[in-house]
Amino acid sequence: MRKTLLALVLLCVLFTSILFSNTTLRMIQVFASPERTKIIENIIEKFEALKPGVKIELISPPYETAVSKVNIMMSNEEPLDIVEVSDWLLSGLVSMGVLENLERYITRSEQAKYWVDGVVEAARTVNNTAYIMPNAIYVKTLFYRPDILEKYNILGAPRSMGEMMAICQYITNGRDQYGYSYRGIDPVNFMDLVLCSFFNDIDPACMYKTTSGKIIFEDPRALEGLKFYIELYHKASPKDSISWGFDEQVNAFVSGLTPILFQDPDTTALLNYLLTTGVYKTAPLPVGPGGKVYPTFGFGGWGIPSYSKNKDIAWEFIEFFNLPENAAYFCKEYGALPVDSRIYESDPYFGSAVFDGWAAMFDDPVTYQITAYPIDNELWGEWFRLQGDIQERLLMNRMTPERALQEFTNFWKDAGI
Amino acid sequence: MPGSKQKKGAQAPFSSPEMRPHHSLKKKSRRFFFLLALFIPTFSVIGFLTIYPTIRGFILSFQNYTVFNIRRIRYIGLQNYERVLQSGDFGLILWNTFVWIFFSVLFQMLLGLGLALLMRKPFKGRGIYAGFVFYPWALSGFAIGLIWRWLFDGSFGIINDILIRLGIIERGISFFSDPVLAMVAVITVNIWYGFPFFAIMILAALQGIPQDVYESAWMDGANPINTFFKVTLPFIRPVLINTVLLRVIWVMNYPDIIYAMTRGGPAKATEILSVYMINIVFYENNNFSKASAVGVIIISILMVFTTFTYLVTNTKRMEL
Repeated sequence: MRKTLLALVLLCVLFTSILFSNTTLRMIQVFASPERTKIIENIIEKFEALKPGVKIELISPPYETAVSKVNIMMSNEEPLDIVEVSDWLLSGLVSMGVLENLERYITRSEQAKYWVDGVVEAARTVNNTAYIMPNAIYVKTLFYRPDILEKYNILGAPRSMGEMMAICQYITNGRDQYGYSYRGIDPVNFMDLVLCSFFNDIDPACMYKTTSGKIIFEDPRALEGLKFYIELYHKASPKDSISWGFDEQVNAFVSGLTPILFQDPDTTALLNYLLTTGVYKTAPLPVGPGGKVYPTFGFGGWGIPSYSKNKDIAWEFIEFFNLPENAAYFCKEYGALPVDSRIYESDPYFGSAVFDGWAAMFDDPVTYQITAYPIDNELWGEWFRLQGDIQERLLMNRMTPERALQEFTNFWKDAGI
Repeated sequence: MPGSKQKKGAQAPFSSPEMRPHHSLKKKSRRFFFLLALFIPTFSVIGFLTIYPTIRGFILSFQNYTVFNIRRIRYIGLQNYERVLQSGDFGLILWNTFVWIFFSVLFQMLLGLGLALLMRKPFKGRGIYAGFVFYPWALSGFAIGLIWRWLFDGSFGIINDILIRLGIIERGISFFSDPVLAMVAVITVNIWYGFPFFAIMILAALQGIPQDVYESAWMDGANPINTFFKVTLPFIRPVLINTVLLRVIWVMNYPDIIYAMTRGGPAKATEILSVYMINIVFYENNNFSKASAVGVIIISILMVFTTFTYLVTNTKRMEL
């Protein structure tokens, strides 16, 4: 009897010690997909093997509602230790005061020394303070299908917007072949890329202002750019692309219906899976009449909620995630540009033809001038919707381009950029 | 024997006539508390899941609650309502809501009625057939929307493919690039989804009509059309009215299909009030207060509609 009791007591002690020696980190991602979740889980598994007693619980809300979910969880200070923060989410979370200042960690981190250009600025986008450790870069480039273009005796990718329009119009038959993979839903990046290419003086700090401080939509060049973009839809894109999102755009590209596409590097993972090597290529974005084009520097990263009780262990995981071998695995499998310059040198994949478009753009920062959205503006979320609504009206001829530009100008004047 | 009476009285104090009301009162109150105890779980669940959110939503609609100012929430009067009602698109959204409800419920009712009449008499395999017909009702609205979105797709959709192969059209129809076609598409899906419910309800009502009423009608020389209007319809009328009311409420509060298929586009052509509410949350910095104002507007419209319908249908019943 005494022995049984002793054994029970020992078991209880053992159980309690196991229970209390374990730390569970709660982590949330915002760009969830089944494939991406698997990739992150693999990295988590490696970390847990290295750190017995640490468990990471990954929360993967559906992509469409992830931003709202993060906002709500953080504003209610629900238990979280690691949070994925996209560039568009950053300013809102900082203004809520729920993100930990990571400067003390980042200044001590070896990895930060190897960040590629622009990453330091990205991390310090808000209040010149690093609230996140970037884990990937997203810059748009031109994807094209040489096999389809060659059928029409077109070799190589268009180098200018004019050339792109000519090619797209030339191959469009209005039935089973179109040129451009238009984006109807959430068109912000796409419309702006084309419209801004008609300028040569965009402010590197704000895409919607010229270097002289004028709102771009007030400028006659914006009208030219907008008309061009509408024409691209009417003359070279499927009519139903007015309702296309990412899936439809990529689907049309894969099927060959539209062999020209602007997209982010995360498209590469999907295309590598759906198409055989060499069937698609990337090239620099076509330049506009201003001789330039202005891609934006999108980024995502890991942050730590200011109310987390496990900040140091959370940081350990973030550093582990960003180790070159893990970051390379994540970026290759998910499809993103790594933030660590060592990966581009050590991993041949990132030097392959798939990355020709980005490599050429990064080599010529004057022509391909990186700029930024006013994402720290309070009305950014509303802008996203307004631009989408107005684009639909423009494409359906329910609004004139002049009126649209007037609306855009009024919006940003009221927003105070 | 007063003593023995007293004793008797002491042994059975409630048997005296003065005490009887107390006894029955106590019994009644015990019964009341027992019934209350039975109701409490139901009331708690309803209160927690329905009444509290409704009251909270109502309060929210007068505040400035967005996720980004959660620590600076204050009352702002009718500002959210002003912003919603003064929005340039509100009239269009209201009209879309009317079109969406009217055509969805009308065709759901007609098809449901037709189906119920067809299935009224037993036939071989009726159960299997009913299972096939009723299964859309068991599916998730959002999943249905996503499936039909691909079916209607202008470039890869099977509907266009079939129409082209049949030689009816030469080129794919871009359902979602035309405001009218987009509305037709979402309403079609909603009809497909909702008519089994009408069929189930009407079939149940039809099965409750006594056979001898029909026999009398036939003996009086009524033809099938007369029988339908003079016998069938009056019998199923209460069920029909209640089902229409229920469906109007559900369809008005049902953004799933539209959100999955068009998100309210193109150019707000399919945006109804409940989709507008979701769009406010997703695209306007999680502005739950403004979205709540739309929610209160939806409730108000439905209350007016329900009261009006009951008044009209009751009056007609009186006239009959």
